[in-house]
Formats: sequence, C-alpha cells, structure tokens
Amino acid sequence: MIELRGVSKTVESGGQPLTILHPLDLVVPAGQLLSVVGPSGSGKSTLLGLIAGLDAPTTGAILIDGVDITALDEDRLARLRGEKIGFVFQFFHLIPSLSAFENVLVPLEIAGTARAADKTQALLDEVGLTERGHHYPSQLSGGEQQRVAIARALANDPPILLADEPTGNLDTASGRHVVELLLEVNRRRKTTVMIVTHDRELAARTEVTLALRDGKTDAVDSAGMALPVSSVAT
Amino acid sequence: MRFVLNMARRELRSSWRRLSFFFVCVAVGVGSIVVLRSLIQNVRVAMTAEARTLTAADVYVRSDQPWTDVVLTAVRDRLAALPNTARTDTVDTVTMARLPGDGGTRTKVVELRGVEDAFPFYGQVVLGSGATYTPALLENHGALVAPDLLAQLGMGVGDAIMIGDVAFTVRDVIITEPGRQLGAFSFGPRVLVAHDAVEETGLLGFASRAERQMLLKLSDDTAVDPLVDDLRADLEEAFVRVGSYRRTENRIEQNLSRAESYLSLIGFVVVILGGIGVWSVTRVFVQQRLASVAVLKCLGATSGRVLSVYVAQVALLGLGGALLGVGVARVALAAVPGSLTDQAAMAAGVPSVSTALTASAVMQGLTVGVLVSVLFALVPLLDIRHVKPLLLLRQGQSTSTARVDWLRVAVIALVGAGLVAVAGWQAASLEVGLWVVGGFTGVACALHLVGRVLVAAIRPLAATRGFALRHAVLNLTRAGNQTRVVLLAVGLGSFFIIGVRAVQSNLLATFALELQEDMPDMFLIDIQQDQADGVRGMLDRARAEAGGSGAAPSLIPVLRARVTGVHGDETAIEGRRAVRQAGFGREYTVTYRAGLEENERIVAGRFWDSEPSALPEVSIEESLHARGIDLGDVVRFDVYGRAVEARVTSVRSVEWDDSRSGGFMFLFRPGTFDDAPHSYIAFLQGPGEAEARGRLQRDIVTRYANVSVIDGLEVIKTVRRVLGYVTTAITVVGGIALFAGVLILVGSVAMTKFQRLYDAAVFKTLGANARVLTTMYLLEYGVLGTLAGVVGSSGALLLTWALSRQVLDIPWQPAPGLNVLGVVLTAAVVALVGIASSLDVLRRKPLATLRAE
Repeated sequence: MIELRGVSKTVESGGQPLTILHPLDLVVPAGQLLSVVGPSGSGKSTLLGLIAGLDAPTTGAILIDGVDITALDEDRLARLRGEKIGFVFQFFHLIPSLSAFENVLVPLEIAGTARAADKTQALLDEVGLTERGHHYPSQLSGGEQQRVAIARALANDPPILLADEPTGNLDTASGRHVVELLLEVNRRRKTTVMIVTHDRELAARTEVTLALRDGKTDAVDSAGMALPVSSVAT
Repeated sequence: MRFVLNMARRELRSSWRRLSFFFVCVAVGVGSIVVLRSLIQNVRVAMTAEARTLTAADVYVRSDQPWTDVVLTAVRDRLAALPNTARTDTVDTVTMARLPGDGGTRTKVVELRGVEDAFPFYGQVVLGSGATYTPALLENHGALVAPDLLAQLGMGVGDAIMIGDVAFTVRDVIITEPGRQLGAFSFGPRVLVAHDAVEETGLLGFASRAERQMLLKLSDDTAVDPLVDDLRADLEEAFVRVGSYRRTENRIEQNLSRAESYLSLIGFVVVILGGIGVWSVTRVFVQQRLASVAVLKCLGATSGRVLSVYVAQVALLGLGGALLGVGVARVALAAVPGSLTDQAAMAAGVPSVSTALTASAVMQGLTVGVLVSVLFALVPLLDIRHVKPLLLLRQGQSTSTARVDWLRVAVIALVGAGLVAVAGWQAASLEVGLWVVGGFTGVACALHLVGRVLVAAIRPLAATRGFALRHAVLNLTRAGNQTRVVLLAVGLGSFFIIGVRAVQSNLLATFALELQEDMPDMFLIDIQQDQADGVRGMLDRARAEAGGSGAAPSLIPVLRARVTGVHGDETAIEGRRAVRQAGFGREYTVTYRAGLEENERIVAGRFWDSEPSALPEVSIEESLHARGIDLGDVVRFDVYGRAVEARVTSVRSVEWDDSRSGGFMFLFRPGTFDDAPHSYIAFLQGPGEAEARGRLQRDIVTRYANVSVIDGLEVIKTVRRVLGYVTTAITVVGGIALFAGVLILVGSVAMTKFQRLYDAAVFKTLGANARVLTTMYLLEYGVLGTLAGVVGSSGALLLTWALSRQVLDIPWQPAPGLNVLGVVLTAAVVALVGIASSLDVLRRKPLATLRAE
C-alpha cells in the first residue's frame, strides 16, 4: 500500500521558489491499477519519483507498506526499491553495455536471489522476448526495449510497479503491446501498478485516474469524470 | 560480491576498447619499472656471485706508500695466528707505454699492474687467445694487455712495448681480469706484468704514484671479518686501507641498491604520468556512466556496491595494463642487442648479464600498476556516490556537491599518503618518496596555475570573428573541458624533454669553454727535481718550433702530504682516526709559491709577502676552512715520512674551473720545503698539430720514462663520451615521459570524442563543412599544444637555471632557440594527434549521431 500525507515539492528556479507539487494526500491500496494524467509540467513524474524514493519531498510523509521512506537514507532507499518497487521509464534506461538477459539479471544479482538465471529467462518469456536475451539494447526496437525494462522492473517480484509514460516513446502498435503487458501484470500478479501517461485511452482502462494540473490534484474516475480527491483513497 | 564481480566483468567487456588508453598508460609505467629493475637486479646477481673475483682475495691491505716494517710485521703476525693462509702482492701505477725505437710517435697512458705468481686467488684471467693464464706468460718481461692498447698503438701480440726503461713482449690480450672494480675510473688500458718487472722499470722511484696491495687468502671464511677488524686496529696510525671481499660486496650492494632505487623512481615518475592519464580517463568514463549508475541505484544497488563495481573494474584494468607492461618489458629486454649486454658485463667485471625478467621486478611492477591505477581512479570514481537515480527522470539533477565532501577530502589524503608510500617503497626511502610526490604535486600545481592563467589569457579570442578560431577557443575554455588535464600531462612531458636537452647543451657549452685559447691541454706529472731543467728545455723548444704562441709552460713543484693533526684555539684533531673523521684523511698534493695565481683570491687572513720565511706558513682553500681548520691553527703534515707543522695564515677561494695553474688545497710559503725532495708537474699548451703533439709526448717519455704525459684533449674526449652516454640515458627517460604525455593527450582527446561527435553533427547540420571543422580542431589543438609547450618551456628554463646555478655550478646560458623549437614541436605534435583522433568525428554522418542522442 502506498500512502502520501501532505506531500509537496518545491524547488529553486532562477532564485525563486517554484512549487511543482502542492500538498497532497493519497492512498493507493495494494493491487490497484492507477493512472496519473495531466499536461507537461503538472508534476506527474515528480510524484512518481517521490513515491519511488528517487527524490525527497519538501513536506509530508510517504509510506510504503507502512514504512516512512522520507526518513530513509540513500542506501536504505536503494534497498527498498530493490525489494518493493519496480520502475519503468519513458526512455527505457537499459544499461547499454549489458545484453537484454543481463539487464534483467542485474536486480536479481543485487538482491542475491538464488537461481537468478532461470528467473530471468522466465521473465523474458513472460514479456515475449524468449529469443532476444543475448541482444544488446541497441539491437532491439523501442517496444522490445520497453518490454525488457518491464521484465527488469518485475525481476524481484515487487508489490509496486511505477511506470513513467511507458508508451510515450513508442509507436502505436508497440505502445499497445506494452500497455497490455502492464495491465496483465496488475491482473495476474496483483501488483499495484501506477502509470503516468498522456494517453487518455490507457487512463480510461485503469481503475482510478489521478489528474494533476499545475501541481494540484483532482481525481477522475475511469470514465474521465472529476472526482473529489478523498474518494481516491477508498 | 558476486554482483560486484559480474558487473565489473560485464562493464569491462563493453568498455575495454574505450579504456584501452588506460591500459597503455599503466603499461608504459609498469614496463619501465620492470625493465629498469630487472636489468639492475641481474647485474646485481651476477656481481654478488662474483664478489671474491672483484677483489681477487678474501682480505686486502692497500697503501700508496711502500710497505713499512710496522705494516709488514702486523700482517705477518696476524696471518701466522691463522691456519693455511696465503699472501700475494700487487703493485699498480699509471704510466706511459710507447713503441720501442724511433719509428712511432704514439704514446699511451696505461694502468700498469705487477702481480706475483699466486695471483689471482679468486677468479680467472681470461685471455683473448683462449689459452689458460699461467704466471709463465709474464716471465722474462712478458706482458698481457687490454685489446684497446694494441689498437691505439697499432701493434699486435708478439710485438714489444716500452714501459719505463724496460721493453716488454706482449704475449696475449686480457678479456677479463679479477680485481678490477665496477665503475672505477680508468686512466687507460690495463697492462699486466710480473711484480718484480715493475721495480725494474724504475717507475717506483721517489714520490711515484703507485698503489701497493697485499692480497690475503684465508681457509676459514669466518676469520675474514675479525682479521679485517684486527688489522684495522693494528694499523690505525699507518697510511693503509684494509678491507675484504665482503666489504666490497656491501659497497657494491649499496651502490647497486641506490642505482636500483633511482631507476625505479624514474619508472615510478613515468607511472605517475600514466596515473594522470588514468585519472583523466576515469573522470570522463564516470561522466559517461552516470545513467548506468543511476539505473543500478534505481534497481536497488547501494552507492557502496556501485562504487565497488567500478573500483573492481579499475583494479582489473590496472592488472591488465600491468600485465601488458610486463609483456612489453619482456619484449624490450629481449630486443637489447647482445653486444650491449656484453659491454655492460665487461664494465661490471662479470662474465655475463642476463636479460631475463626477475620475479621480484615483475611482482613490483604488477603491484605498482594496480595500486597506482586504483589510487588515481579513486577520486574521480567517488563522484559515483553523488549520482542520484532521479537523473533518469530529470536531466541536470544528477549530482549534489554543495557541502564540503569530507569523505572526498579523506580519500584525497589517503591517495596522497598511498602515493608517498609507493614512491617511498620504490625509492627505498620514505623521505625520497615524500620529496618526489611533493615535487610532483608542486610542479603539477604550478603547471595547473599557469594553465589557468594561459586559458584566461586566450579567452578574449572567443570574441573574434573567425568561426573556426572562435569555436576552437570556446571549446578550450568551456566548463568541463580537458584543457587542464592535457596541459598538465603534455606540459610535464615537454618540460622533461626540453629541460634535459637544455641542461645538456649548457653542460656541453661549459666544456667547450674550457677548451678556449690559452687553456693548458697537456699535463706532465712526476717530473723529478733533476729532470726539471731538461723537461723545461724540451717544452721551450717545442713551443718555439710551434711558433711561440700560447702561454709559456710552467713547472710547479709539488709534494704529497697527509694531515696528521690540527691544533688551535678551538680545534684539536689528533691521530689518523680523528683526521679521517674530520674529513682530511686523503693524501693532498701541495705546493709552495710566493704569490697568488689568477684564479685565487684571499677571503680571510693575509697572504705572505715574497720573502722566504723559515717559519712554516700555509694558506688553505676555503672548503677546508668550512670543514673546521681556522686561521691561526697549526696543521701537522706527514710529508714523505717527515713531520712538518705550519700555521694557517690565510684562506683562499680557488676558481676550480680555471685550470691554467691548477688548484691546491694547501699552499705553503716558500722556504718550508727548500731542502725537501719534491717533484714537479707542468701545465702547458701542447702543439696544435697532431704529429708534433705526439712527437713531444714521445720525446719526453723516451728521455724521462717515469714522467707521465696526460693529453687533455683525450681526457676531454673521454668526458664527452661519458657525457654522451648520460645524455642518451636521460633523453630515453625523457622520451618515455613525452610518450606518456602524448598518450595522455590521445586519451583525453579520444574521451572527449563523444561530446565532439554531437557538436560536429550539429555544426554539419547547420552547414559547416569538413574544412571548417578541420580548421577548428587544428586551431583548438594548435592553441592547446602551444600553451602546453609554453608551460613546459618555461618550466625547463627554470629547471636549467636551478640545475646550472645551484647543483652543477656552471654558468647558466639560456637556449632560446631550443625553447622556441620545443614550443613549436609540442604544438605540432598536439595538433597532429588531435586531428588524427578526430578523423572519425569528421567523417561520420550527422544523422546517426543526432538520432543516438
């Protein structure tokens, strides 16, 4: 479960404080499929980064399964990510020097998981890249790279999967493939999946949609209708 | 741990080509350490195995005076107390050899050694004919000579040579002989004859310069050190030196250790240059790896683990580079021609020197390679800790370095201490290590500062109209550039080379100076009193024949004296041991005259007037004053067995460079030695024409066989040759340093290629053609090379000044031509390398690059 209490983010910009995210309360129950929508610069990615512990909030507390991650240092945050959070980026961010197989293998090795190679192969099978393990990122198409990234994010079977515009850099067909994969993950693994997207169609397929504008929130339902924020936390 | 090793391995797999320069930096340094250390260790092994051969005895007693009864009795008594001992005597003197008859005009200074039948106790005299040496070869005036003498006199085995009054028949040539020491200065080729025959030559007369040596052989090795101690105690007041093969071994050992440390240090300096390359590569490498680091952190790896991955990678790279260096060393040593090692072996007095790598040198090279790689890479790698995974979401949020990074400070201190430790280890002295690392840091800081000033100085050029020049300067001055690194590395390299060249030309200029017009170039020694008039007559005649130019030859009376005591208000030195400790233990050649020579000046006291005085007075050279003899002190001398006491009445400074009338540490007032027997030396300008020169030498030697004629021209030739060797050696080392500097340049250019690729693609898209880009790069690297050359050149100028004035004590002559040439060559090399390594950037199509970004 993800819980945000009065979380805000303010940065210095040109010597002036700029609030990217206004104080926000949010509860995402385990297993929920949630999308975050809003125009560029509305604070979507910032919100995702804060939840993943990639950035620290200016105010408030973020609880992942009851643990306040704002109190953790960098190394503890890294370990927490390794165990509980998978992250999928718009630009894939695979390590170019490693093959697809090795990219998926890395988080398992970091966690010291037994039979890491078998698990890696199973994950590649799951994302439909059984035969592409030995290819390097530069030899894969965008869609394939993103599927490797999803396999990597799932490697340690995290309860939470965060995806930052996962289809933003893909053609329509590849994007659709990736979306299906993410929905499938949520359905089959019961993973909490939180997707930042510009894609209204994708947002419409999630249980709950959170809309952000200028760092402020209003919730919308799956049909795109505005909802009071408190209702998201149900 | 498995993760760390696996990641390091995978990273290496993909980046080793990009980091190949890292290998080379380490390899060059390690290679030079391994080569230098292996060579000297091999010489050392060969020599310590032959220690007894070097002295040809267990124990030796040496003296430059005939044996006194005291000495003979002491040695006899001590040997009598030991079982199965043997003694054999040798006598050595420097004299002239010539061909008999009036035919040839050639004469040659030789080192004559007379040996008894039992010689040598250890080792073998190896003869050119392959025959076995037996004392019978020396019977009936037989002689064995070094091969170069035959060549110089144009004679062969079986011919006769005259030494003193005796004609010797050359029976064979000597290839190696026991009892000749490494590095001992040689006056001329060796001539080996029977001991008694030396007496017959008449060369051992009064005041002759001969060294007598008793070689002792013991059956019990444990008796060697006690015997040396006993004899030293017995003969404390006698003018003899007692030693053993072990002491020789120790001394050689010390000299070789020092040589090994010195050479290793040179290797280490090259390693440090390589280390700067490593640092530069790592810095850029970390910049390129920021995203991967962020991904690893995002996937749950802690900073420590990520850092470990890269440290492991650097250590592996260092090991790889070090192994490559060992391989290079192996090839380099194997490529050393056999004739060269044979020469080295002969110089060292050992049968052969191996060119194999020694295990210890290899181990040291590997260790130093890995240590230096890790130490130099550590500081730039620390930046990995500051990489935030947020970078993956938002560019420009990658690092945070606002606060003072204490860990970084601590690591820098640790790296400094580590380098001092490694340098200290290599030089076998912590103090030297401190000086080297301190010196390097100082020079690096100075170069860095100069670099900053120069970069600031060219900044205004960024406002010029020319597109290529403007962008060239912008490239050099923009943040995060490699300008400072390249300036440092190439500046150091050119500093080394230009500095060495300049010092060398300064030295050579000084030697050329000494050969100026009225300088004496021929020296006669050991002219006896009754020969003085005859010699003077011959010299005057020769001068008249040559046209009477140049300075008139002068005969200077000399005596040989030893200090036996000094007494004064504040001085009390008494006895051999005290004199030795005070630093006056050697034999001094002294003279007397009424006036000062041109190269002398009184710095304290008053010089005597021209009247002879019965009261002995002496004037001392200022260095003796510095060592403790004061004005008014009474110095007691032993002059050919007679005690003479003289009061110090003045202190002189002597211009030693000006050798027209020689220089004397002790100068007496005339009167003291009027009745004492003495000999003369003469300084003269010999005839300029070679044949007349040879004839004069020959005439003197034929008539006065005991007189030695030393031809200054030949001495200077020898000195020049030695200087040539030294210069070559230094140039090779400087060359390696420059090579390392160029490598660092290639590396830093290669590392900036990725940035350059993108820039070039944008420029091309905007319409810049290859010519504009080439001009831009040419200007950029030309300016960079010029700056590096200026930095190195100024450093070299400073270095030559300091070395000339402070260390070598020679006049400083700046060589502006050399400095300018240095700057031009550095600029050209840098520009060429820059263009060559940017070819790829120029050729690549812009679209591919832009798409990849």
